[in-house]
Amino acid sequence: MKNTLTTLLILAVFSVGTIAQEKGSVLIQNATLMTITDGIIENGDVLIVDGVITAIGADLSAPSGVSVVDGTGKYVMPGIIDAHSHLNTVSTNESRNPVTAEVTMEESINPNSVSIYRALAGGVTSIHLMHGSANVIGGQGETLKLRYGVTQDEMRFDDAKRTIKFALGENPTRVHGQGNGIQPRTRMGVEQIIRSHFDEALDYRIKREAYLAAKEAYEGDRRGRTAPPVPVAKNLRYDVLNDIIDGEILVHCHSYRADEILMLMRVFNDYGIKNYTFQHANEAFKVAPEIAKNGAYTSVFADWWAYKFEVYYSTAYNATILNENGVTNSINSDSNELIRHLNHEAAKTVRYGETSEADALKMITINPAKQLGMMKWLEV
Amino acid sequence: MKIKTTFVGMASFLVMLLAWPQMPSMAQEVPAHAITNVTIHMADGATLVSADIVWRNGIIEQIGVNESIPFDAFIIDGGDSLHVYPGLIDGMATWGSPETPRDLPRLDNPGKPPYDRAGAQPQRVPEHYLNEDKAFEAAMKAGFTLVALGLDGQMLPGHIQPFNLSAPKLTQAHVFANPLALQGSFETAPGGWGSGAYPSTQMGVMAYFRQLMYDATALQEHMMYFEKHSEMTQPEQNDVLEALFTLVNKEYPLYFEVDSKEEIERLFRLQDEFGFDVVLVSAKEASALSNELKSRNIAVLASLDVTEMPDWLEKENKEAKKDDEEGSESEEEGDSEDADDSEDAESEELTEEELMFRSKQKEAWEKEINNVSALLEAGIPTGFTSAGLSPKELQQKVDLITENSTLTKNDIVGLMTVHNANILGISNRVGTIKEGNSAHLILTDGPLFEKGTNIHIQVSQGVINDFMED
Repeated sequence: MKNTLTTLLILAVFSVGTIAQEKGSVLIQNATLMTITDGIIENGDVLIVDGVITAIGADLSAPSGVSVVDGTGKYVMPGIIDAHSHLNTVSTNESRNPVTAEVTMEESINPNSVSIYRALAGGVTSIHLMHGSANVIGGQGETLKLRYGVTQDEMRFDDAKRTIKFALGENPTRVHGQGNGIQPRTRMGVEQIIRSHFDEALDYRIKREAYLAAKEAYEGDRRGRTAPPVPVAKNLRYDVLNDIIDGEILVHCHSYRADEILMLMRVFNDYGIKNYTFQHANEAFKVAPEIAKNGAYTSVFADWWAYKFEVYYSTAYNATILNENGVTNSINSDSNELIRHLNHEAAKTVRYGETSEADALKMITINPAKQLGMMKWLEV
Repeated sequence: MKIKTTFVGMASFLVMLLAWPQMPSMAQEVPAHAITNVTIHMADGATLVSADIVWRNGIIEQIGVNESIPFDAFIIDGGDSLHVYPGLIDGMATWGSPETPRDLPRLDNPGKPPYDRAGAQPQRVPEHYLNEDKAFEAAMKAGFTLVALGLDGQMLPGHIQPFNLSAPKLTQAHVFANPLALQGSFETAPGGWGSGAYPSTQMGVMAYFRQLMYDATALQEHMMYFEKHSEMTQPEQNDVLEALFTLVNKEYPLYFEVDSKEEIERLFRLQDEFGFDVVLVSAKEASALSNELKSRNIAVLASLDVTEMPDWLEKENKEAKKDDEEGSESEEEGDSEDADDSEDAESEELTEEELMFRSKQKEAWEKEINNVSALLEAGIPTGFTSAGLSPKELQQKVDLITENSTLTKNDIVGLMTVHNANILGISNRVGTIKEGNSAHLILTDGPLFEKGTNIHIQVSQGVINDFMED
């Protein structure tokens, strides 16, 4: 049987506890396989060699040295991916400036947190470790493989796409506007922060490239006729903003209200930014067709709302409505507690709106994989 | 006759001229000092018994047995019972440094703070910031004769500069050498929640540090261009960025205060990007990365501030020792089974979870206590930093470490003398007792760090401080 899932979607086997921390090879036999992209296979076998799924079928045999797990009566599905987590951060928010694109969660990973173990026990094998929502443009995120007891480097996905956190609405306006009397204090200020910083970044790129060209010309001029340029220092923040505009970094934007969701889509269209995800997006159901039309994604709670004013107008049918409008939607936790039962959270979309079980499962597997730019790991 | 007299006079004058260098010192020379009849502890661990040491003008002139002591020397007779060690060196301390003010005013724009509010003050040099501090005299009395001073601060507090500990109050006159490194840490901007600034997280410190280095690189280049092209825009005056040129150009190492394995790994990222040398300060988990430290040629100024033995382990060890001592008596009297039963009864009171916890706690504690010995075994250049420990606390920690690891008290003396001198790059002058070296010595009445040993005299750059006069 053709292999449709590769390294990223590491298998999690219900009610088998000890294998999770071993790395390498295993053969699971005679289980119900929930492939996500290729339906359900009854009495199926899955062979993993050195961390890669190499075969799916029936009556597979284990190469020498590979342990065998009897999956009779059990289910095998891809490991759950949580697209919004602060599970094991050293710090979550560099909240002293409305724009901190230069900081990265890659340098804020705590590999020793017991929460990793608990999340694994809930079937989550990968997370999107995110910066917090204090800033309009926050820090870069990091996609992690959950392994308990390894180094911070060993947790990182080497080839995962870079991501970054944006935040709209009450959080950045409260932290910076209300807290320090600096922009943004309003939603319109939030928009201008994004626009002005993108413009500054583009302006910096022009000047930096001109300086580098002039420097090369000056240093290559043996006759000394060329004047040296005034150096333009490398600017880490603007480099990251330019990478966003160039599509090198995927934006995940904390947002709630329909008006700000529409605003960001307009801004991103102006700068040619694609493949971004609205996180939380409680009012996304109101503008689901527009989100689908712009090719944006959403990553939402199943049924969590009313904890702030901007989160009052919500519905448990949000995920279903988005899905039915063709939006690639995921269900996330943003919580060290919810992460332990994301399968139940996804199941709520079946209860609220009769999303199919297959689509509900996609919301915690392949959909977040797409949103995190892990498509390299999937054969579609 | 007249010719003979003249000839004799001239000949005498010539002889006197030739003999002038060998003639006894004139009254204007600084008199020598000598300690005689002592056991001198040499760098390789060997000892010279009933030996003498002479120094003049702060420099060791003679070491040996039955040395001819200069006639003008002030002599201290060791009575064949005292010991001379090289003066102890503290690899890094912040004594005398002004503390960061506690009540900082709130910033209008905490995202764009002035350098000092961000914690970036690499331009500061300790000799300009010497306050009174009781720690100086306490260290002298504990046998320290030299200290590499840093400053109290955050991510880049300033330079590291060595000083002679020859007086309880230090001034610029006590500078031993020019600054030899920059000081760094992952400390965030001061001010706390109300008055804080960027960077307020470790990831922020790393990003801010990178930007400082990029800015310093650009400024240095601008200054270089301007030297040859005065018609161009003049570069800005920026002493913070200029202080970083030594790091940009890899002229100075960065002495970085860090403990956890993960933070050391994050420091490696900065080192990989900018290529400067690093010395770890404190480094309580450094042995977990011995291979990496070795491949990067990173030295460690280790803290000896280890945690106390867990109470249950201390109790267990005491009982085990008592059992061993009473073991033979018990066997003779046939009580051994009863003893085993009582042990089983106690361990039965502990749950499996508690037993597992104790096992992990013991493993973690033993790893911590063996940090320095593991670094030495791995061949990592390892020295010592007091890292806030008082001399009394230091003695307690030395006892704890030497009783529970392979480290000996002699090893610890080595950390504080020859190893520190090597790491600080001043081994051509201090760290060992050698002719030509600076006179940094201590006179004790027993082996260093043994119970009951007192420091009688401390000599720093030839200046004597006698602590037994009272």
